[in-house]
Amino acid sequence: MALVELKGVRFRYAGSDRYALDGASLSAERGEFVLLVGPSGCGKSTLLRVLNGLVPHFYEGDFEGEARVAGLDVRSTPTHVLARHVGMVFQDPENQLFLSSVEREIAFGLENLGLPRAEVRRRVREVLKEFNLESIKDRAPYELSGGQQQKVAIASVMALEPEILALDEPTANLDPLSALEILSLVKRLTSEKGVLALVVEHRLELALKFATRMVVMLDGRIVADGAPRDVLLRTGSIVGYPPVVVTHLLLKRRGLAEGSIPLTSEELARAVIGRWATRYS
Amino acid sequence: MSARVLDIFRFRRKRTPLHALDPRAKFVMLVALSAASLALSDAVSLSALLAVEAALLAVAKSLREWARSLAGLSTLLLLIFALNFLTLPADRLFVAAAMTLRFLCLTTAFSIFFLTTTADELAAALEVSGVPREYSMMFTMSLRFVPSLARDLQTVADALKSRGFELEKGGLKERVRNYTYLLVPLIVYELRRSIMVAEALEARGFGAAKKVEPYVDLSLRARDYVAIAVSAIALCAVIWVVASGVYGSFVNQVRAYFPQL
Amino acid sequence: MGDAILVEDVYFSYEGLPVLKGVTLTVRTGEVLAIMGENGAGKTTLIKHFVGLLKPERGRVLVFGVDTREASVAQLARRVGVIFQNPDHQLFAESVEGEILFTLRNMGYPPDEARAICERVLKLFELDRYRGRSPYSLSVGERKRLAIAAVVSYNPDVLVLDEPTAGQDFFNKSKISRLIFGLKRQGKGVVVVTHDVEFAAQVADRVALMVDGRVIREGPAGEVLTDAEALKRARLTMPQIPAAAALLEAEGLKLPSKPLLPGSFYLELLDLLNHRWVGP
Ligand SMILES: Nc1ncnc2c1ncn2[C@@H]1O[C@H](COP(=O)(O)OP(=O)(O)OP(=O)(O)O)[C@@H](O)[C@H]1O
Ligand SMILES: Nc1ncnc2c1ncn2[C@@H]1O[C@H](COP(=O)(O)OP(=O)(O)OP(=O)(O)O)[C@@H](O)[C@H]1O
Ligand SMILES: [Mg+2]
Ligand SMILES: [Mg+2]
Repeated sequence: MALVELKGVRFRYAGSDRYALDGASLSAERGEFVLLVGPSGCGKSTLLRVLNGLVPHFYEGDFEGEARVAGLDVRSTPTHVLARHVGMVFQDPENQLFLSSVEREIAFGLENLGLPRAEVRRRVREVLKEFNLESIKDRAPYELSGGQQQKVAIASVMALEPEILALDEPTANLDPLSALEILSLVKRLTSEKGVLALVVEHRLELALKFATRMVVMLDGRIVADGAPRDVLLRTGSIVGYPPVVVTHLLLKRRGLAEGSIPLTSEELARAVIGRWATRYS
Repeated sequence: MSARVLDIFRFRRKRTPLHALDPRAKFVMLVALSAASLALSDAVSLSALLAVEAALLAVAKSLREWARSLAGLSTLLLLIFALNFLTLPADRLFVAAAMTLRFLCLTTAFSIFFLTTTADELAAALEVSGVPREYSMMFTMSLRFVPSLARDLQTVADALKSRGFELEKGGLKERVRNYTYLLVPLIVYELRRSIMVAEALEARGFGAAKKVEPYVDLSLRARDYVAIAVSAIALCAVIWVVASGVYGSFVNQVRAYFPQL
Repeated sequence: MGDAILVEDVYFSYEGLPVLKGVTLTVRTGEVLAIMGENGAGKTTLIKHFVGLLKPERGRVLVFGVDTREASVAQLARRVGVIFQNPDHQLFAESVEGEILFTLRNMGYPPDEARAICERVLKLFELDRYRGRSPYSLSVGERKRLAIAAVVSYNPDVLVLDEPTAGQDFFNKSKISRLIFGLKRQGKGVVVVTHDVEFAAQVADRVALMVDGRVIREGPAGEVLTDAEALKRARLTMPQIPAAAALLEAEGLKLPSKPLLPGSFYLELLDLLNHRWVGP
């Protein structure tokens, strides 16, 4: 069975008259970097909340369908158990970092599991090292830059060694270089540790190049799912084409480009140079 | 008065003997200092107490933060002084000065504690003393979000003002009404924030284990025992001096020394 | 195009923490200025000076010739409208309609004129079907639009938007850029603070890059957004199109102009690939 297995999940928040998820099915495996996009209100955050059981345990409402994460049935597993399998990182660092030092922040989740202090210490040391946070371990999270804060947030959930990392617009408030650093960090976790990452991000031009898979949602449903290039080509009218893709499509109309769409400026430039070379040299 | 006044209670990370003290030892110290501030009632001994507190702040390398926040508190201090001075029948200057000093000593006692103790050390101390983790966490959270709340308040007020709204306009009644415009977005936002925070807590496995061993290893060391002993002795001494009447005659002597006040 | 806001060598600190360290900048009417730069560079702090919410410690800020130290925020706000990043911090009324009427009332519009303006603005911002609903029941994108609508309603000469596109989806982003173009066409000055380089490439005429409380580079968008070194210092990436053009140039295919957007890039590439123009 897949690591994440959603089948026909429908969910309506208590007091709401429409389904925020309306028959969403998704199955994802270790090592994937899934980019989750779609218009505001289409249910992206709700979908991530299903993974660690915030829906339907923390947010109550009508839940239908089947949701299994790491083999556990979400409906009958409490969030604190799912938290060991799903690390969740949110948009606003301020609301997810609580403690007075980076070190304690990383220890917090482990403490919560009731692990003995020596074990917690050992894991904290490892995580500080792995995420290169040793030099700032005594600093208070609120003194750090936005990018560093998000890195600490990721490190603090990764301390629980989850197989799944769910990030809800983790870079929305970050400057582009910090955003790229965060996305590369997530990418490294997927390729080196086999973590499954699900990332919600509106800025495709930043995130696409990291994704191994793209999922597009609309009105609580998954309307496209597959390789980023194919999905983007089909759903550009919903999610918008990045500038390099627009250029490619314009050139293609004139017969000056072919093949799959570029995701980065490098790819576009290479295609143009190739074209130019075959024509004129 | 601005949020800046609260800085007098905001932790600053420093390497000093006072910062390194166990939070429980600092708590006993806080109790002793506050009790002394409340028990003493003449300007001379309260000044002496303030001097002791200033010395402690110097050890904690925090005199500057304290002094800076005092500037913000000065209006309040003046107000206390003026109110006492204007309403008292006799001994006006003497008592008004003592009351102002008492407030200052008390504030400083708390300031010493909070400037040198992090919220989570405090929470750990509470947990070790048997307070359930939910409550100690609640405590940490409420301290943690004071600056955020202050910042939100500022932003909402800024937004309101830049919509041409004048908060300080009109009579008292109107001003109170003006402030309700400020409160609505603030309350809505803080509610939203509390949900976001709760979500993040859940996602970190909060509440998973019944029994939790705090990360901070709180065990009293020699210097903590010394601090506790000194504070306890000082506390007993103050209580004895006041209860035995020695203090009363001292105050009378001081009074006699300044008959013109 | 006239000078609207002059920022002259402004210094500012929060309780001893210096945040602005000598900023000089001009905001003009009839153009879009993007202020960009790393987290914590002081962008939000700077725009709070534009309506006198913060006053410079050194230097001065002139809003249409008036020193911000000599006018109230309410007076300055008539000419400079600021929309803050988080809409939840700036919605005060019980209904969508009320939100706009509230602002117009503060600005001293008579009730019937206010009603007429309110109607027009609700339509313009595609919010008329929500008129009676509570602002807090709207989606993030709609709340953002409402916050902008409330400020646009009283027709200030300059609009300042802090992170208008953060967390916004594609539809809303396009709506916001169309709106900015509309405002510019009316001769307004528009300032956007943004981390989104593609959005800046699309809407900005001029770009100022801030690093650590200083403006390190300021000039036409076409020059600043192609200056790799300055962008890097400000922790920004180059927008995709100029980045692609730079790669072409590195291979000896120098384009005669510096395109920022797909449209102009495409035209250049047509020339290049149809060999109507040969590289050096
Ligand atoms: N706590 C809640 N109570 C009731 N309804 C909710 C709640 N949270 C979300 N909704 C509704 O559920 C739907 C899906 O919301 P969700 O937050 O999952 O969307 P999203 O795709 O994450 O959007 P965005 O890009 O704006 O973050 C929306 O219609 C929203 O109004
Ligand atoms: N009210 C405040 N009190 C104290 N310090 C503040 C306050 N507001 C901002 N700061 C500090 O001032 C610096 C500049 O903040 P500012 O919000 O202006 O940056 P910014 O460029 O808008 O950053 P971002 O891109 O993250 O929004 C930061 O170090 C910030 O922590
Ligand atoms: Mg969301
Ligand atoms: Mg800002």
